[in-house]
Amino acid sequence: MDAHVAQLQMQYRNYILSLYQQGFLDDQFTELKSLQDDGTPDFVAEVLSLFFDDCVKLVGNMARALDQTGTVDFSQVGANVHQLKGSSSSVGAKRVKGLCINFKELCEAKNYEGCVRCLQQVDIEYKTLKAKLQDMFNLEKQIVQAGGIVPQVDIN
Amino acid sequence: MTVEQGIEAVDQFPVGMRVLAVDDDHTCLRILETLLHRCQYHVTTTDKAQTALELSRENKNKFDLVISDVDMPDMDGFKLLELVGLEMDLPVIKLSSHSDPKYVMKGVKHGACDYLLKPVRIEELKNIWQHVVRKSKFKKMKSVVTNGESEGNSDQNGVRANRKRKDPLEEEDEEEEEQQERGNEKKPRVIWTREMHNKFLAAVDHVGIKNAVPKKILELMDVDNLTRDNVASHLQKFRLALKKITNEAKQQVNMAAANSHFMQMSSLKGLGGFHHHSPIPLGSSQFHGGAATTRHYPSNRTFAGMFPHVSSSLPRNLHNDGGYMLQGTPFPPLENLHINSNNKAFPSFASQQSSLLVAPSLVLEGHQQSSSPSYSPHLEINKRLEDWSNNIPQSNVHSEPDALGWNMFGNSTNQTYFCRDTDFGSSSAAHADSLQMKQQHENIFSPMTVAQLLRSSSANEGLFMGQQKLEDGFMASDAGSLDDIVNSMMTQEQSSRVLGRRLA
Repeated sequence: MDAHVAQLQMQYRNYILSLYQQGFLDDQFTELKSLQDDGTPDFVAEVLSLFFDDCVKLVGNMARALDQTGTVDFSQVGANVHQLKGSSSSVGAKRVKGLCINFKELCEAKNYEGCVRCLQQVDIEYKTLKAKLQDMFNLEKQIVQAGGIVPQVDIN
Repeated sequence: MTVEQGIEAVDQFPVGMRVLAVDDDHTCLRILETLLHRCQYHVTTTDKAQTALELSRENKNKFDLVISDVDMPDMDGFKLLELVGLEMDLPVIKLSSHSDPKYVMKGVKHGACDYLLKPVRIEELKNIWQHVVRKSKFKKMKSVVTNGESEGNSDQNGVRANRKRKDPLEEEDEEEEEQQERGNEKKPRVIWTREMHNKFLAAVDHVGIKNAVPKKILELMDVDNLTRDNVASHLQKFRLALKKITNEAKQQVNMAAANSHFMQMSSLKGLGGFHHHSPIPLGSSQFHGGAATTRHYPSNRTFAGMFPHVSSSLPRNLHNDGGYMLQGTPFPPLENLHINSNNKAFPSFASQQSSLLVAPSLVLEGHQQSSSPSYSPHLEINKRLEDWSNNIPQSNVHSEPDALGWNMFGNSTNQTYFCRDTDFGSSSAAHADSLQMKQQHENIFSPMTVAQLLRSSSANEGLFMGQQKLEDGFMASDAGSLDDIVNSMMTQEQSSRVLGRRLA
């Protein structure tokens, strides 16, 4: 049993480290984790689900704005990108944030093609992150179910 | 709050400080709420600006501080800032992922006490309570001043007791305020014009900074309607500025540091170092607004130029002692500018005390707003930048009387003081790469009007003190005024100091 827990914990640790190494997450995520405590055990999960809901909403807004047959309101797109940038940086979604920075420039340049492409990337990126984090939460659940505690992973 | 409750609150403050957090982004709002709870503040959140306004109007004493996002759909964040600030006179902190100096400046102008960049970190939030304290002190000062009492601390106490807001803080602040108030003029505002300041400097120089006493200075200045007290408070600021410069001169700082500092300052928790000695600005000098707007430094200006004897002594001083870089230079402006210097040493110079040129102060302190000069600091910074680029040996300094080295005033037009760094990058910059600055700022501000600013003011001015420092990475330039030097020194120092802090 313990060996199993230990193994799961190791797996969890490696998984988290890989997420950081691959640039999915950054320090802000670590900060977020540090805010979670016994009093708020689901804090991270809660914030992340708020974030992904926001992603869906914002991406939807942007898609609609870009889908106009007439002139595209780039400032509208830009406003949404800005918001996404803010929330992604707050949760530590590094790649998403990076894309938002590019996206913002494309909006300012009113580069339609570029914006559309970027939006697609953002869409893929946040969904990928969502899946990865879902896996992470599952691992956490498994560890707890196996009787262990979720280890604190030191990123450095 | 009853007196007992007030006292309790004081004891625990900042624990339990009541914050109203507004952000239409739910993710950020949730995180902010948790962070604030961690700091042991009492938090109320809403995602609508309108709701926030209503909540705060409902009971003016309900909240101590408001943190609000800039981009909100139902109301412009800046508008909310103004309304809350004006109606409820609450300190408001802006929050945004826009690091663009333009927004920061806008925030400052609309009265924000501080401007934080997302993602917000807990360290920054831990210091926001300072704004509450400052604001309350400011209000106290204001009420005292408007009462027109010139002395009598007992009266002051009475006035303070009457103040409704921030009662709990009174006990804490009382002593300090008294001291400050004593030093402050409660008389009708005295406007410290450039000429007056020059006279002041000359007088100080004449007696020597160490022997400078208000009475003597007043005599030497020979200005009508100026009281010893006016001079005393002015002198106090001056001394503080000098001290600051002296300290800074001792450190090696480069522009980048300065810039980052600046920027950081703005986003940093409430002015870490910003203590003001009470709103000196209040009541005392108002620098004619013109200063802020006009400034020009045709070619340097230094105050030194005004007084021949001073100028000659300046270089000497410079070389001799690390201490005063320049005797009688108007540090304050500089200081204020880039440093959230605690002393708004000569706020008056900066256009109005209230606006205290110090940009940081503007950013940080909501109450600073005064009509125009708010961005004088900004200007100053730009000025400073120019100066730096101008790298001039001190001996050349003395220029025109107007120079007064108040770079600050100079660039009245510019608002983005954050652009400082960028100035380097873009402007005169030949040496934009001076580096660090650039690197450091890359993520912060973009050179906006800096270029414009630089263009507008006479580009080559400023004596740059400490050539060595210049070489470190500043742009070389041609003329400079002493205060430029001082400024740069101050800046440098500040920046290096700040550098350590949130750089990112």
